[in-house]
Amino acid sequence: MINHSAYDSLITFDGEDLATPKPSLATSWQVSPDGLTYTFKLRDGVKFVSGNPMTSADVKWSFDRVKNLKSNPAFFLDSVQEVQTPDPATVVLKLKSKAPALLAILSSPALGVIDSKLVQSKGGDSSANASTLDKAESFLNSQSAGTGAYSMVTYTPGQEIDLVKNPNHWRGAPKLDRIVVRNITEAATEKLQLQRGDVDIATGLDQDQMKSLQGAQGVTTKASPAATTFYVLLNNNPQVGGAFSNPLVQQAVRYALDYDGILQIAGPGAVRLAGVFPASFAGALPSSDAIKQDKAKAQQLLQQANVGQVTGAITYGSDEVIWGVQSAVLAQKIQSDLNAVGMKITLNGLPETTALQQYRDGKNQIGIWSWAADYPDGENFLVYAPGNTVGKRAGWLADANADAKDIAQIAANAESEVDTAKRVQLYTQFQQRLNQVGPYAPLFAPAVPYGFRSNVQGVTFNSVWGLDFWTISK
Amino acid sequence: MNLQVFIARRVLFFIPMLVGITLMSFILTHAVPADPVTANLGEQAAANPEAVATFRHQWGLDRPLYEQYGLYVWNLAHLDMGTSISTRQPVALDLKQRFPATIELAMVAMIISLIVGIPLGILSAVKRDTIVDQVARVTSLVGVSMPVFWLGLVGLLVFYAHLGWAPPPGRLSANIQPPPFVTGFLVVDSLLAGRPDAAIDALQHLVLPAIALSFYTLGVLTRMMRNSMLEVLDEDYVRTARSKGLRESVVVLRHAARNGLIPIITVIGLSFGRLLSGAVITETVFAWPGLGLYAFTSATSLDFPAIMGAGIVIATVYIFVNLLVDVAYAFVDPRIRVS
Repeated sequence: MINHSAYDSLITFDGEDLATPKPSLATSWQVSPDGLTYTFKLRDGVKFVSGNPMTSADVKWSFDRVKNLKSNPAFFLDSVQEVQTPDPATVVLKLKSKAPALLAILSSPALGVIDSKLVQSKGGDSSANASTLDKAESFLNSQSAGTGAYSMVTYTPGQEIDLVKNPNHWRGAPKLDRIVVRNITEAATEKLQLQRGDVDIATGLDQDQMKSLQGAQGVTTKASPAATTFYVLLNNNPQVGGAFSNPLVQQAVRYALDYDGILQIAGPGAVRLAGVFPASFAGALPSSDAIKQDKAKAQQLLQQANVGQVTGAITYGSDEVIWGVQSAVLAQKIQSDLNAVGMKITLNGLPETTALQQYRDGKNQIGIWSWAADYPDGENFLVYAPGNTVGKRAGWLADANADAKDIAQIAANAESEVDTAKRVQLYTQFQQRLNQVGPYAPLFAPAVPYGFRSNVQGVTFNSVWGLDFWTISK
Repeated sequence: MNLQVFIARRVLFFIPMLVGITLMSFILTHAVPADPVTANLGEQAAANPEAVATFRHQWGLDRPLYEQYGLYVWNLAHLDMGTSISTRQPVALDLKQRFPATIELAMVAMIISLIVGIPLGILSAVKRDTIVDQVARVTSLVGVSMPVFWLGLVGLLVFYAHLGWAPPPGRLSANIQPPPFVTGFLVVDSLLAGRPDAAIDALQHLVLPAIALSFYTLGVLTRMMRNSMLEVLDEDYVRTARSKGLRESVVVLRHAARNGLIPIITVIGLSFGRLLSGAVITETVFAWPGLGLYAFTSATSLDFPAIMGAGIVIATVYIFVNLLVDVAYAFVDPRIRVS
């Protein structure tokens, strides 16, 4: 949210939309027929807050720095071989391998363009050794250096960030002079402050608070789609999963769940998922195709599996709340649904970090987790493929059997398919296969719950960057 | 043994305790069955060996544990507490920004507990079994048994949300610019900067969280004071004082209360520790950017340097307050110095 307000990326999206890339600092782009060269024309006359003009050199410097710092966002540019700058208004990205999701990736606020002149003078470095040479972090934590609608003037970690408007912003001056972003740790406290009008916008509410805010005077509540999928993980590794590594038991779980009840827990705006892609993504299966609860069928599948009494434990972060959805509440619901078809399920709620560690180590027998898109392309969700990040966590390796090999191949093909129609078709096929033999039960895509004072306009939450402060007025 | 030697000995004892604290916090934080990589790197970066290696190297996590600990103590001896993984600031700076917020809160809470708890305890003992005593006993029961979290939220709901008497959570209103950092105590800094508006605003923000936090200590103090007074009021010297024809107020305040206060000093010392731990929860409810909240968030993100730093500061304060209590005790009761 802060990055998006202080820095601009080459590409952006409109409002809640995640499907159509729109110009931002780049006004137009061209992709070579082999899909390995992307040429961007930069917007004319854009200036940084410092007054320096924004040129292709800044784009190159910013991208090189992200790559070479090797920290969280570096993977965004894994496919980029080289950033070239034939002239100040043109940027060319040369790729190592085809990356059809690149445009969506470039919308990330982590790839915002930085004022390279200013930041270099403060110890910034983008060379291959940037991870040890770059000394600009403390400077960039004290003030921002972008072209965005607002610039950050103070940052107190964990507490508060103060933004002031950038009157020379290229989209026109923003409507508010100053924005204070405060960390309110307790959601109940945040709700009270919104009701009293002491905060204008609250983005840290949970579903309980959203319910009690319905009809509150002077408060508008809203939910925007989040590019996140909630799912149940069933470990395919017999040593960890026990009975749950059996494909028939996995199928039984998919039929045992009361999806309507689960959607109630997820809150207003949440969407039932038929596959592992969020409904707003190209290639998502239509909600109407989703598996419906069928207890008789679940029991029959269990009998067919012939594994005796099925027992297991659900691992989840007991203190975890994602987009207002409490993992603990979800875990209890799933426990009771599975027990209703004759399984014996216990709850294994752990502190979030510990649960996450076990999940990443592939040690959850049954787990309740979510995967959030880092950029709006279905490619994010190929992590569910056998041998990929989530696949490995579910003990599902690419060489497990013929099905696994096959699905892994579909995922690999989708990753490098440049033709959109063909890629979407591969995405669909991928999810359909997962629904037959995958060790997952897709649940829902949540909605981001937020509330704001009714006199505030232009509040729209985008799943990639949060709020765009430029559109907000009061 | 005289008082100076007694104090010097206690202060020297402080050094091995400090080493013990660092060792304990180090072992405990590393015993958590989770990796800082999990808590601090995103899904994609955590799955990338190169990003994980860079992270480990950056934070010294690729060295053997004994080396990590040795390095930490070495740096600490040079007054360097390291850099926090989550705030990316020196831990010492983080602590400097947050510690005063907690002390400000804890001190006001302590003052409230003292000026309400002690008189209430005395009154309750003197007016034993009357309505005054009942009210005092219920108050102390509520204080001791109700969780700070609940008291804080109910306080906010009633006095802030419904009645509008209390200001919103936080240390200052959003429209008031914080005064320049001198002591870190907002009330003091505002006055130093000649900004009475900010001082009043800061004070208003302090009242509700401090009351919520004070309840437990207040309850304990009231109870202890009542018991201690009841004991003292039965003593021979009180009877003597009364029989001399002294006024009851003089008997109670000058003769009984003075002696009744001795055991209370110990309770005050112990309660201060309780205030610091209660601050963690109070700070969460009231969005109070203090040490408690810092310790909590560092613990959840396995931010080792920050956890260690917060642990050392809290333990030091606790030891220091108990040192003061011992000294005060030795001062009041000379028998302690001998043993």
